[in-house]
Amino acid sequence: MFNIYSKNRTVCFIFLLLFFIIFYPLSVYGQKETPTMTMTSALTGKYPPFSYFGTDGELTGFDVDVSKEIARRMGVRLKLVTTEWDGILAGLLAGKYDVIIGSMAVTPERENQVNFSVPYYHSGAQLFIHRDNPAKVYSIEECKGKQIATGLGETYQHYLEVHYPEVNVITLKSTAEIFSLLKQKRITGFVSDRLVGSWQINKSGRPFVPVGDMLYREDIAIPVRKEDKVLLSEINNAIIEMKKDGTLKEIHNKYFGLNQDQSEEQNSQMPQSVIISKLLGGFAITIGIALISIVMGFVLAIPCGLLLTYRKGVLVVPSMISRTIVDFIRGTPILIQLLFVWMGMGLSPYIAAVTTLGINTMAYMAEVIRAGLMSVDPGQARAAQALGLSKIQRFRFVIWPQAFRIAVPPLMNSVVALTKDTALISIISIPEVIREAQSIISVTFEPGKYYFITAVLFFIVTFPLMKLAGRLEKRIKQKGYVYD
Amino acid sequence: MIEIKNVSFTYADGTKGLIDFSASFPPEHIFGVLGESGSGKTTLLNCIGRFLNPEKGSIYIDGDNILNMKELDFRRKIGVVFQDLYLFPHLTILENMILAPCKVQKVTSKKARTEAREMLTRLGIEDIADSYSAQVSGGQAQRAAIARGLMLKPKYMLLDEPTAALDAGTTKEFAEWLRELQEESNFIIVTHDVPFAKSIASRGIYMHNGKKIHSGNIQNIIDVWDTDFNKR
Repeated sequence: MFNIYSKNRTVCFIFLLLFFIIFYPLSVYGQKETPTMTMTSALTGKYPPFSYFGTDGELTGFDVDVSKEIARRMGVRLKLVTTEWDGILAGLLAGKYDVIIGSMAVTPERENQVNFSVPYYHSGAQLFIHRDNPAKVYSIEECKGKQIATGLGETYQHYLEVHYPEVNVITLKSTAEIFSLLKQKRITGFVSDRLVGSWQINKSGRPFVPVGDMLYREDIAIPVRKEDKVLLSEINNAIIEMKKDGTLKEIHNKYFGLNQDQSEEQNSQMPQSVIISKLLGGFAITIGIALISIVMGFVLAIPCGLLLTYRKGVLVVPSMISRTIVDFIRGTPILIQLLFVWMGMGLSPYIAAVTTLGINTMAYMAEVIRAGLMSVDPGQARAAQALGLSKIQRFRFVIWPQAFRIAVPPLMNSVVALTKDTALISIISIPEVIREAQSIISVTFEPGKYYFITAVLFFIVTFPLMKLAGRLEKRIKQKGYVYD
Repeated sequence: MIEIKNVSFTYADGTKGLIDFSASFPPEHIFGVLGESGSGKTTLLNCIGRFLNPEKGSIYIDGDNILNMKELDFRRKIGVVFQDLYLFPHLTILENMILAPCKVQKVTSKKARTEAREMLTRLGIEDIADSYSAQVSGGQAQRAAIARGLMLKPKYMLLDEPTAALDAGTTKEFAEWLRELQEESNFIIVTHDVPFAKSIASRGIYMHNGKKIHSGNIQNIIDVWDTDFNKR
């Protein structure tokens, strides 16, 4: 009996196995049909409560929930990317993502470039000031000559410039920056979204208050590229449905409803462990990208530096090309190069970052190597020739070892400079340390503290490098390599 | 015998280095090439060492035109120590010496090191073998550069202004030291240091403005130089 049962079990097992072998691939195939399409949506992740990093370090907020719901209704997989607000529309046009579900207001200028969905919420511009009100202003009309802040690239900036040209508009990159300036009373006030502004003030516990009427109302909608007509109509259908069945209202209440205070309490404090892991994770990315770029830059810099130095015979043309590339790279801002490679050439953020930083390092290191080669006394090569060494041997055993030793300290400086330049890649939505710091600040409202910690992290890496460069330089001088 | 026949050399800026220069240097223990600064001594040395190509004329070493000689054969005939020595600063004195034997003559590093140490002992400077050029004195560096040149066992060894960086005392010591290197090579010393030349060479030539003025006995040459100098 037991034996038979056991046999049966074996047979069952084999059948089951066969079943899986035959049908599993089909089931996978079948599953693929629904979420095969991915919709990539961009937002800043620095605009609470619409998009921000929650206590668990995950992206959350009103826009995030709306994005998820729209994607669900469209039957597509959702991929969220965070990017800077001031380049977000250009990124959409460059095809970096399909949509921006990130609280973008509809404006005629933007409508020239993209098509907007039906609005998914309405808001408006509101002036907020310090409760002490040292400037004694009670509406935007009274702010002539006063400094009023807006977020860089936000519609408020343009609106103020057109309608209130006497207002001294200053643009800042994040709410945290605006808040700390207003706290120090270095600005009179700021114009922001009424909902967001109130939410942020409440959450950060800052003594700021809204004054005067709303400057204007605005429709918040989802931009897509003009050619994506099908996508637009699918999004519109989803939004209309969500409005009808009350889903939008539900999501709105979750963030702005009456019971929001409790959830806010939880949100206003990011756990220390999340902060630490965000900062260290971001810093690991920074160092990783720096390392790859340095290695790449150095490897390319050697042939490039040689071409810059030896410009005769068959090398004339390659040498001229190298010279042009190096001059162009050294003569243009790295930020532009980064944006060009990322958006202009359409590379993914990481590849764009490594390529740009690597090529940039190449240019600077090639000059250093050229200078190193030039500072070796030409007599050294002649002495080596007198000893019967071939051209290659002269270079390999006499010139290069000296040139390289001379070049090491300035090369170290290039390494330090590059490590610091990685700060720029936060702009192309790579979650490196500065971007992570900004996302922490958008929740904690402590820019001083977290920017300082970030600076210290950089310093921990760059300081030993600088010291090492100094020591090597001293040793090289003692050995008398440098000829002048 | 090094024979220089009707050699002319003009620098890119138009300065005449050598003008229809002819002379012959017999294999002699120490042969002096005297002349003031700008007389064309170093140009001559650079032409003999194949660092400069004369626009006219030819140079023969033991009957072979130097332009037709293979590089290595040529370097085995002619060693050069420049006025500025050009010891390789990233290498120790010993490493300076074994570079050419190891890389050019493909001698094993071990054998080259043994030979180099023997050479240094013979030249009385074995204590600087493992020092870098920046760590040794001017006199030691001068000897080290000569030692490096001698490693390829050249038949002729050209020394450009070997006493330029030495003070009077060291010059005397150096002269004595050089005199003892009978076996090593035939030295051709380019110098404007008359007492040094007198103390070390028995024969030589005297150059002025890229031309040979006189050749023969060193005392004769010095007399001609003095007369010449007084005339001007």
